[in-house]
Amino acid sequence: MLRPLSTAAIALSLMLPAGAGARPLVLAIGGEPDGGFDPIMGWGHYGSPLFYSTLLRRDAALDLVGDLATDWTLSEDGLVWRVTLRGDALFSDGTPLTAADVAFTYNTAREAGGLADLTVLAEARALDATTVELELTEPRITFVSRLATLGIVPAATYGDDHARHPVGSGPFRMVEWREGEQLVVEPNPYWHGGEIAFERVSFVFGSEEAGQALARTGIADLVAVPPAMADAAPRGMKVLHVESVDNRGLAFPMVPRAGGTTGAGAPIGNDVTADRAVRLAINQALDREALVALALNGHGRPATGPADGLPWDNPGAAIPGNDPAAAMATLEAAGWRDGDGDGLREKDGLPAAFRVLYPAGDSTRQALALGAADQLRGIGIDARPTGASWDEIGALMHSEVVVLGWGAHDPSEILYLHHGAYAGVDYYNTGHYRNPVVDAHLEAAEAAIGFEPSLAHWQAAAWDGETGFGPRGDATWAWMVNLDHSYWVSDCLDPGPLQVHPHGHGFPITHDLPSWRWTCE
Amino acid sequence: MSDAAEPIRARPARPRHPQRRAMRHGMIALALLGAVLAGAPLLPEGALSVDAAARALAPRPAHPLGTDLLGRDIAARTLAALAQSVQVGLLAAGASTLVALVLGLAATLGRAADHLVGGLTELALGLPHFVLLIMIAFAMGGGTAGVIVAVALTHWPRLSRVLRHEAQVIAASDYVAISRALGRSRLWVARHHLAPHLVPQIVAGFVVIFPHAILHEAGLSFIGLGIEPHLPSIGVMLAESLREIMAGHWWVAAAPGLGLMLVALIFERLGEALRRLSGPAGGTT
Amino acid sequence: MNAWLPALVAGRLLRLAWLLPLAATGLFVLISMAPIDPVQAYVGGRTSQIGPEQREAIAAAWGLDRPAPERFASWLGRLVQGDLGRSITFNAPVLQVIAARLPASLALVGSAFALSFVLGTLLGLVAGATRGRWPDRVIRTIAVVLAASPGFWIAILLVALFAVGLGWLPACCAAPPGRLDSEVALADRWRHMVLPVVTLSVVGLAPLVLHTRQSLIAFLDGPAARHLAAHGARPLHLAFGPGLRHAAGVALTLHLAGAGELFGGSVLAEAVFAWPGLGQATVRAATGADAPLLMGIGLATLLFVFAGNLLADIAARLADPRLRRAA
Repeated sequence: MLRPLSTAAIALSLMLPAGAGARPLVLAIGGEPDGGFDPIMGWGHYGSPLFYSTLLRRDAALDLVGDLATDWTLSEDGLVWRVTLRGDALFSDGTPLTAADVAFTYNTAREAGGLADLTVLAEARALDATTVELELTEPRITFVSRLATLGIVPAATYGDDHARHPVGSGPFRMVEWREGEQLVVEPNPYWHGGEIAFERVSFVFGSEEAGQALARTGIADLVAVPPAMADAAPRGMKVLHVESVDNRGLAFPMVPRAGGTTGAGAPIGNDVTADRAVRLAINQALDREALVALALNGHGRPATGPADGLPWDNPGAAIPGNDPAAAMATLEAAGWRDGDGDGLREKDGLPAAFRVLYPAGDSTRQALALGAADQLRGIGIDARPTGASWDEIGALMHSEVVVLGWGAHDPSEILYLHHGAYAGVDYYNTGHYRNPVVDAHLEAAEAAIGFEPSLAHWQAAAWDGETGFGPRGDATWAWMVNLDHSYWVSDCLDPGPLQVHPHGHGFPITHDLPSWRWTCE
Repeated sequence: MSDAAEPIRARPARPRHPQRRAMRHGMIALALLGAVLAGAPLLPEGALSVDAAARALAPRPAHPLGTDLLGRDIAARTLAALAQSVQVGLLAAGASTLVALVLGLAATLGRAADHLVGGLTELALGLPHFVLLIMIAFAMGGGTAGVIVAVALTHWPRLSRVLRHEAQVIAASDYVAISRALGRSRLWVARHHLAPHLVPQIVAGFVVIFPHAILHEAGLSFIGLGIEPHLPSIGVMLAESLREIMAGHWWVAAAPGLGLMLVALIFERLGEALRRLSGPAGGTT
Repeated sequence: MNAWLPALVAGRLLRLAWLLPLAATGLFVLISMAPIDPVQAYVGGRTSQIGPEQREAIAAAWGLDRPAPERFASWLGRLVQGDLGRSITFNAPVLQVIAARLPASLALVGSAFALSFVLGTLLGLVAGATRGRWPDRVIRTIAVVLAASPGFWIAILLVALFAVGLGWLPACCAAPPGRLDSEVALADRWRHMVLPVVTLSVVGLAPLVLHTRQSLIAFLDGPAARHLAAHGARPLHLAFGPGLRHAAGVALTLHLAGAGELFGGSVLAEAVFAWPGLGQATVRAATGADAPLLMGIGLATLLFVFAGNLLADIAARLADPRLRRAA
C-alpha cells in the first residue's frame, strides 16, 4: 500500500517520537464516547478529535484557521463552500487523503442519523484531488462549525467497525481501547502537523473518583476535578482553573400568562416576568461577583450574556449590575411599588413574585438560586427558589423562571435560544421570546457571506442600539456566572494557551493536546 | 431457610420462645420505624442545607456523624434518607404483598388460572432479580414511583406460592367441604376458614419482603434509576460518598449504610421470628 | 449415562421454548412503556449542536419513529436470523456489545461463585459442628448481618479500608491504567479482581452458610453420625468428612439456583469498581433508553438463570438419587 517515497519519510518520522524526552502521558478527564470514535456518528465534538483532522480548526482564541484546508471561500449566494485541501495529508494507514474522502465523509454523515447535524448540506462534491465543494440548501453560516468539527474518514476503508478501529489523518492513532476502562493512543507518524512530545497518551475512563485516586498516587498527569475539591491538589500537581462559557443564568418567561399551553400541556407565560422592567431590574440588581464567590467558591467569572468573550459576543449589550438603587428606580417607574409595606412590590394587585426553579441535585444551581433570591429580596422582588427534577422543570420552564446553563463554541446556540421559530422547542427558547428585529438579525447572521461578516449580525441581535435580546434590550435572561473548569495538572506538564472552555467539563481541555509539552527531565 | 431441625437441638438450658422473640423483635422494629419516621420531620429547618463553612468535616460534637463535601450534616441527612427509604419500602412491600395475595388466590380459581399464575411466576423468576428491577424501573421512567412499582412487581413470587399452597390445602380440606355442604357461601368460607390461616402468612410475608424492598430501592437509587437525586435517599448518599471515599472521608459512607443495615436487619429478624410462629409451611423456599 | 438426565433436559428445554417468547414479549412491552425519549437520551448534552431536523433524522435512522408493534415485529424478524439488533448507545450490534463485555462479567461472577461456595460451605460446616458455641454464633451473626447489608455499601467499605486506608489493593477497574492489555501482568489482574470478587461473594453468602449448617446438623443428629460418634469420631472430623459429603450436594444445588442473583449483584459491584462488564452496559442501556440492548441483556440473563437452574436440578439429582424418579 505504501509508496516507496513515503516509506522513507515514514521510517524517519517513526524514529523521531522515540527520541529523548518522549514519555507516556496519563489523562483522567472522562469523555469516553460509548459509541466509539466515528466522526460520521458525531465523534469529535469538543477537544482533540485525536485520530482525525478536520477541514478547519479553532485556535486558542477561537478564530478559524486551516487544518486540512489551505483555502476556503463561500460563494456570493452563501450556498457553496469551496475548500482547497493541502496535498500532503495521509491517513494513518499511509494512504493519501483526497477531496473524494472529504466529499464521502460529508455525504455519509448527512445520511447517518448520528450526532453530526448536517441537515443543511445538499451535496458535497470533489472537483479534483484537492478541491471540494459543499453545497447547502440555504445560506447558513454556522455550518462552518461543522468544517471545524467533522473529522475526515477514508472512503476506501470506512465501514461498520470504523468506530472501534478508527483510521484518520489526525495527530494520533489508536493503540488499544478497552471500553469502559481506557484508551491508549500513540502519535500518528503520518500526521502533517508536526511532532508530539509523548510516546503514548492514555485516557483513563472508569469513574471520576478513580481518576482522583490516580492523581494522588502520581499515576495520572492531568485530572478533571469537581470545583469543590479542586483546591486540595495532591503533591506534584497544580490546580488549573480554565475560564469557560459554561454559563448559568435565569431564563425568563417572556409572554404574559394567557392560558396557552405547549403541545405537551405545559402552561406558557408569566405575568410578572413578562414585564421588561422586572427583567431589567433583576439584571441591574444582581451582584454577580458575590454569586461567583458564593456558588463557585470564587472559581468563575460574572456572566452578562450567553457567550461572554467569544467572537460573536456583544459586550455592549450588557448593563452594570450590583446597582439596587437603579433597579428600584426601574421598578418604581414601571409601577411596581410596595403598597402594603411588607417590603415586596406589587403592581395592580399582582405581587412581584415568581418561583426560581433549579434541578435539585445540582448544588451549584441551588446556591445560585438561593443567592439570587436573597439579592432580589433587597429590591422588593419575591423570588422563591424551588428544587425540582428535570421532568418537573420541563413542565414548568415556560411559565416559571429557571436556572439554565448553556455555552457552545458555535453561535447557532444564540439562534436556538432567541429566535421565535424555536419558541417552546426542547430547552431552546423556553420563554417563548419573539422579536422580529432580533429574528431578522439572527437570520442575517446565518445568511452572511463568511464567518467574519456574520459576527456583526450576531452582536446586533444582542443589542443593535435600539433593541436586542441582551440585558440592555429585552433582557430575555439574567445571566449570572460562567463556571471555571478545574483540573489538577502535573507540575511538569505545560498545556500551553487554552481555549475558553465550552459547556462540559473534561475532554475539551485536550483541544491542543498535540502541542502540549513536558517540562521536566 | 428451613429451620425444621431447630426443635431437635432445643436444650433445656436456653429455652426458646418464638412468640416472645417475635414480640421482642416486633417492638424493636416498631420503635426504630417510629423513631425514623417521626424524627425526620422534626429535623430543624436548614439541617439538610449546604453550608460552605462546614465542608467535609470528620465527626465532631457539632456534627456527630460528620459532614459531606457540600457541608451537609450526615446525621440529619441519614435520618431524612432513612425516613424516605422506610416510606418507599413500606409502600413497595405493601404493594408486593397485595400482588402476592391476589395472584396466590387467583391460582386457586381453577387449572387455567393456576397455569397462568405459574407462568407469571416463572417469568418473574426467570431474570435475575436486579436485572428485572432495572427493566421495570426503566419502564416507569425511574423516580420514586418507578422504584415502588419495580419492587412491588418483583418480590411477590415467593409469598404468592406460599399463599397459593395454603389456600389450596384449606380449600381441599374436609371442614371446607362440610361448610359448603351446609350451604355456606364462598365468602363465608373465605372469611371464616381462609382468612385466619392466611393473615399470619401475609403479615410474615410483608415483613420478610420489607428489608429486601429497602435494599433494592437503595441499589436502584445508587445506579441512578431510583429515587430522584434531589431527595435524600440512602442510595443517592452512598453514590455520592463514592467520590469522597477516595479522599479518605470514610464517615460519609459509614452512617447511611449502617442505618440502612440496621433497619433491614431488625426487620429480617422480625420476619424470621414471625415465620416460625406461622408454622413450617412458611419456612420453605 | 442415566435415563433421567435426557428427560430432565428435554423437559427444561421445552419450558424454555415457551418462556423465551413470552419473556421477549414481556420485556418489549415493558421497554416500550418507558416515558424516556430515546432521541433526547441519545443527544444528551449536545442539545445546542443538534437541530430539530437532525433529531427527526436520528429517529428515522434508528427506527425510533415507527410504532411499537412494528418495531417489535421487525426485531422478532431479525431475532430468528440470530440478529439482536443494533445498540444506539454503543453504535454496534447488540450481540457484539454483549460478547465484548460478557467475559469481564463472567470472570467476576465465576470467581465469586467459586469463592462463596467454598467460603459458605466451610463456614456452614464450622457453624454446624460447633453449634450453640461461640464460633457458631459468630458465623451466624455475620451471615445474618451480611444478608441485611446493601452489597454496594460493603464494596464501598472495602474500598475505604483496603484501597484508600491501607493502600493494599486497587480501588477500581480491571487493570492498572496507563498500560496496554499485553503489558498487564496476570498478578495485576488478580489484584484488581480481589475486591470486586470478595464483595460479590460475600453478598450471597448467608443462605449458603445457614443451609449448610442446617443440613450438617441434620446429618450429625442422624443415626449414622451417632454411630460414628459413639466410636470416638470428633465433631469436626465428622463435619469435614462424611458431613461434607452429605452437605455439599445440597449446598451446590442451592448455590447454582442462586447463580442468577450473583449476576444481578454484579451490576452494583461493577458500578462501584468501574468494572467494564455487562452490568455497566445494563445501566448505560437503561439511562440511554437503548431498547435493543436492554432486550438483548434481558434475554442473555434469562438464559444464564435458566442454565443455573438446570445445573442445580442436575446437581440435586446427582446428590440425591431419590429425586431422579420424580423427574
